[in-house]
Amino acid sequence: MRDTFVKVLLEEAKKDPSIILMTGDLGYGVLDTFEKELPGQFINSGVNEQAMMGMAAGYASTGKRVFVYSIANFPTLRCLEQIRNDVCLMDNPVVVVSVGAGYSYGSQGYTHHALEDIAVLRALANMQVIVPADPLETRELTLAIIASKEPTYLRLGKSKEPAIHTAALKISAGRINEVSGGDDGTLVFAGSVGTVAVAAAKELAAAGKRVAVASMPYVSTIDIDYLQKALAKGPIIVIEEHSYRGGVGSAVLEALNAVNLHGAIGLIAADQNNLSQIGDQSFLRHANGVSVENIVRRFIALAADQR
Amino acid sequence: MSDNASPFIDSAELALAARHEIISMTSVAQASHVASALSVVDILSVLYTGTANISAKNMKDPDRDIVILSKGHSAAALYSVLALQQFFPRTWLSQYCNNDAPLGGHVTSKGVPGVELSTGSLGHGLPYGVGIALARKKGGAKGRVFVVLSDGECDEGTTWESAMIANHYNLDNLVVIIDRNGIQSLTFTEDTLKLEPFADKWRAFGWQVQSVPGHDYGLLAQSLSSQSKPLCIIAETTKGKGVDFMENTVLWHYKSPSPDDVVVAFKELDEHY
Repeated sequence: MRDTFVKVLLEEAKKDPSIILMTGDLGYGVLDTFEKELPGQFINSGVNEQAMMGMAAGYASTGKRVFVYSIANFPTLRCLEQIRNDVCLMDNPVVVVSVGAGYSYGSQGYTHHALEDIAVLRALANMQVIVPADPLETRELTLAIIASKEPTYLRLGKSKEPAIHTAALKISAGRINEVSGGDDGTLVFAGSVGTVAVAAAKELAAAGKRVAVASMPYVSTIDIDYLQKALAKGPIIVIEEHSYRGGVGSAVLEALNAVNLHGAIGLIAADQNNLSQIGDQSFLRHANGVSVENIVRRFIALAADQR
Repeated sequence: MSDNASPFIDSAELALAARHEIISMTSVAQASHVASALSVVDILSVLYTGTANISAKNMKDPDRDIVILSKGHSAAALYSVLALQQFFPRTWLSQYCNNDAPLGGHVTSKGVPGVELSTGSLGHGLPYGVGIALARKKGGAKGRVFVVLSDGECDEGTTWESAMIANHYNLDNLVVIIDRNGIQSLTFTEDTLKLEPFADKWRAFGWQVQSVPGHDYGLLAQSLSSQSKPLCIIAETTKGKGVDFMENTVLWHYKSPSPDDVVVAFKELDEHY
């Protein structure tokens, strides 16, 4: 995902000198080509996320589209007030890019797990939160972000994420992208955790339940139309690699509540019972309850309730 | 007071008029930070009478100088100076902090001509100014960036992060002016978290540094006249300057003047200036 992002950004930055890439001293082996080819549009600020974010906002105020790149919680929680005041309040066109969504940095430990970022960033007014599912979505969403001037948070996985979408995508701001159809219910996910949703849909199919699988990359602008139709079909399970508290599931529930819609909705998110647990991404997802088994169990229970 | 026919040219005259406005507006609004505003108003008056290339007429010029008041709680000083220099109507001052009024208790940029950055949380102005100065330097744009800090604000890590960045990129278009009145929120700066040797710190970070009497218009202007690297002016000021009972005390960081206080304060201004 990160390589796709940087590749697309470099292609576009060659055509548009207002695109600036700023890093907080991270991106070894990832940002090198960009730095070599466009040194005038690349800034390594050093290890100083708060000053970097304020600087990015000031830089952007001169008419530049500034992408601030770092990993995990460093470009989000570490410099939250700079994002709130200097980016969002001042409406500066900064894009915060964090690599390492959820448990992407698995064995590196809890300091490197991004599990509250969606909740915190989507709580900010004037902030678009975008969570791509795979390299294909990353490419299309990066182009969409460059075309917009909104303060944006782009939450990326790490590397070698498998393709989830099998067909060409037509991205539309705020829209859910369906991966596969089904009439008995819907599994909605945000991010590379979509592979777990796809696997769960297969198990449900084996159990006679045909569920749609859909990626929801726009987390702060919810696709109500899609969700309303999905609710009419059957249960919705919202799956995320993030805390339960304030994440994608919460965003869906809030948005539906605002338009007086309700129905059978289940949330699958990280329960964070053991913050110090070591393991790779797949292990930690499972250990924290983001698993095929939990999705299947929850869906079947909700479907049974609806009878 | 009636509106002045044209912007002030003389820093001392502007500062005196602004002092009257600051005392009036904080009294009417019963707002805090009158002493902080009186401390910094001479610095702003020097900047807005020609030392910085900024006026109501060149606000859209991309090469204009930029002034950022990072100590956003001194809003009354900036608003008074901007109104007197005709960036916006002077009547706005009398509605300071009113419901739905244009001017609030901390510096707000939205809808307020002349304000470049909303501030109020300390430690934000300098990184932002570094960003503008770096963009200008890389892009070949002219114009300097002046960031006015409080001394207490130098407790913030972002101040020193930014000082390193400015030195690394040799931002010779960036000026920091520190309102060194020696008092912060609860007590004196040196009793809170030692800043001294303050000038040496900035020098060690690679800046050109000068300490200047912070209420001397001529010396302030002179200190800002040239630079060959990032410039830090430590303006030695008195908190509450110009009104004896407000000077050099933490109390007037918070207290707002009563109508009686205003009468006494105006009388003192007449005597002192």
